[in-house]
Amino acid sequence: MPSSELVMDNKNASSTAGKIIRCRAAISRIPGKPLVMEEIEVDPPKAGEVRIKILCTSLCHSDVTFWRSTQPPMAVFPRILGHEAVGVVESVGGGVEEVREGDLVLPVFQGDCGECRDCKSPKSNICSKFVNKDNQSMPRDGTNRFRDLKGEVIHNVLNVSSFTQYTVVDVTHVVKITPDIPLDIACLLSCGVSTGLGAAWKVAEVEEGSTVAIFGLGAVGLSVAEGARIRGATRIIGVDLNPEKFETGKKFGITDFINPATCGDKTVSQVIKEMTDGGADYCFECIGLASVMNDAFNSSREGWGKTVILGVEMHGSPISLNSIEILKGRSVCGTFFGGLKPKSDIATLAQKYLDKELNLDEFITHEVSFHDINKAFDLLLEGKSLRCVIWIDKQN
Amino acid sequence: MDIEKPSNKTAGKPIQCRAAIATAPGEPLVIDEVIVDPPNSHEVRVRIICTSLCHSDVTFWKMKDFPAVFPRILGHEAIGVVESVGENVDGVVEGDVVIPHFLADCTECVGCRSKKGNLCSAFPFKISPWMPRDQTSRFKDLRGETIHHFVSVSSFSEYTVLDIAHVVKVDPTVPPNRACLLSCGVSTGVGAAWRTANVEVGSTVVIFGLGSIGLAVAEGARLCGATRIIGVDVISEKFEIGKRFGVTEFVNSKNCGDKSIIIDMTDGGADYCFECVGLASLVQEAYACCRKGWGKTIVLGVDQPGSQLSLSSFEVLHSGKILMGSLFGGLKAKSDIPILLKRYMDKELELDKFVTHEMKFEEINSAFDLLIKGKCLRCVIWMGE
Repeated sequence: MPSSELVMDNKNASSTAGKIIRCRAAISRIPGKPLVMEEIEVDPPKAGEVRIKILCTSLCHSDVTFWRSTQPPMAVFPRILGHEAVGVVESVGGGVEEVREGDLVLPVFQGDCGECRDCKSPKSNICSKFVNKDNQSMPRDGTNRFRDLKGEVIHNVLNVSSFTQYTVVDVTHVVKITPDIPLDIACLLSCGVSTGLGAAWKVAEVEEGSTVAIFGLGAVGLSVAEGARIRGATRIIGVDLNPEKFETGKKFGITDFINPATCGDKTVSQVIKEMTDGGADYCFECIGLASVMNDAFNSSREGWGKTVILGVEMHGSPISLNSIEILKGRSVCGTFFGGLKPKSDIATLAQKYLDKELNLDEFITHEVSFHDINKAFDLLLEGKSLRCVIWIDKQN
Repeated sequence: MDIEKPSNKTAGKPIQCRAAIATAPGEPLVIDEVIVDPPNSHEVRVRIICTSLCHSDVTFWKMKDFPAVFPRILGHEAIGVVESVGENVDGVVEGDVVIPHFLADCTECVGCRSKKGNLCSAFPFKISPWMPRDQTSRFKDLRGETIHHFVSVSSFSEYTVLDIAHVVKVDPTVPPNRACLLSCGVSTGVGAAWRTANVEVGSTVVIFGLGSIGLAVAEGARLCGATRIIGVDVISEKFEIGKRFGVTEFVNSKNCGDKSIIIDMTDGGADYCFECVGLASLVQEAYACCRKGWGKTIVLGVDQPGSQLSLSSFEVLHSGKILMGSLFGGLKAKSDIPILLKRYMDKELELDKFVTHEMKFEEINSAFDLLIKGKCLRCVIWMGE
């Protein structure tokens, strides 16, 4: 039985290998209530796993959706949320060779084993190595690595759980990243920004001269805009209920703005069809509401209009599509992580950032310390932030 | 009242001829004399050689409410000879053999010029009772009452008038009782596999509904090099028929009722699933049967106006599957119908097996009976002498 070690700092990181680590984590115990900072125990990594010391993490709206949920399968408590982060490998479990102690890595909710049929196909990024992922425990064996001091299991989220000083992640969910990139930018690439860029580049394949409509101008929607702008889309229409998002959006390439609350008698899709002479070439839903997914579909052009769904539906509602409108040459698909394969594509995005081809700095609007993590939730819910970075360990 | 003469004595004048008229929902068509006006600007008048019955004709024949209208001349799969042309008609002259197509291809608008789709924006698709350019009819009965058009074709008549955007000139040596199939059903199915889905060599394809459209999808998938073409239907006899079209395996959904059979036999789901019946619930089944990651579900069947497809948003997001639909198989009629005809003439595309019955115009109602009872694929109806 590994002995317990309370980690106050990481001067001797390697001395914790193989041992249980005691550290601080922000735990979600009650739906919708502030996270509570507690001491927890983190087991060492088993075979195929990696224990990571988190340096910084950011809040994504999908965390908020899980945090607020009261119904299964999304509601799981107590839980460590967070899935956008960057950290340093503290130790690895048996058989792990692709990363080692000291490596700078991103934990990523999207798996990439490199060996299954999906990973080998250029057409899919939905790794099928572990079929029973339940979004609350380790994918390889269904057990947990976190315990509170009473010995109760604390569940994880999306195979990551980053609102903690230490986490354990399966190696198929760990991506090495260049230390040249600033840490706060690196952590954006582990979810939201990559998702949006991938959706524009890989899933939709936005081409020069396209007209694009983006529903929801949070970090994901704005990364779609950035991706579309870089590809040469001529019109990038942003749809959001928050009028301040237009000014923000312009920095990311938004050319036109629609506030659904001010459309009068017309629906958003009618307005978009009028302004685009029939509908947009590509429509992206970046919120997570079935009614908006329906609007996005209805705003796409007949003949070739493509609708891409990125939002995680908050209430479990179904999407409803008119059969005749589908027959008229439209398509709909959803995407996780923008269709990107984490272990190959994240490095490409990092390089584009370093080569100044990609503007990511503007996504970070706020920073807080770990102990103020609940402020990040407030800022996001109030629509005041894009990405709020939460510093867990500012060293490096 | 001669119907035609080699030197065109009928040009510019109304022609009196026979047509099979739908007078009331579900009632046998009535063969009667009609008056067919000469073509207006941008129109051609065509003597139909032969026409075939498609299930969409049956759908709008049975329907009681708009967009069904009566009296109407149905029929949209056909081949004919140009009798006369109106003003402003280029590229087609009297005597040309032409195939009408219900989906417009004006070749000039944004939609027609785009490589990405096949929907004409100048003449958008709708189940219109009129000529597309001026919303009037060229047909009257002998009392002078208007008879309505059907999807800009109306081929159950010895003569019809077509807008130039709905007509393609074809090789006059093609056998008409094969070429007419390319005016709708077979093109739709082959096109769906070829252009809409872009089925590649080695694919696994599942086809829901083995009517003419579904079998045409099978034919198209076969030509594209698909390795497994699984046919799903509720009538077991369809398997024997399907084998001639490339169907490699058959699932009788009445017996199994559970889509997991298809998921098991394809080791996770098909690369492409085609819905060729016209039921929103079947589209949902097809979607469930295609493989996560890259599976494409293609909707071809026409359900009732207003019907909705309901998909789980969780499933849409998590699966990465694509849902798409197309009209006329994603084909641009004026360029693609001649390509398919050539492939038939080169003996790559097989059309003969689609024609299960041939009959005279007077027997047209038996074509309806056969199709409704599921006892035929395509019935070719020969007009004229």
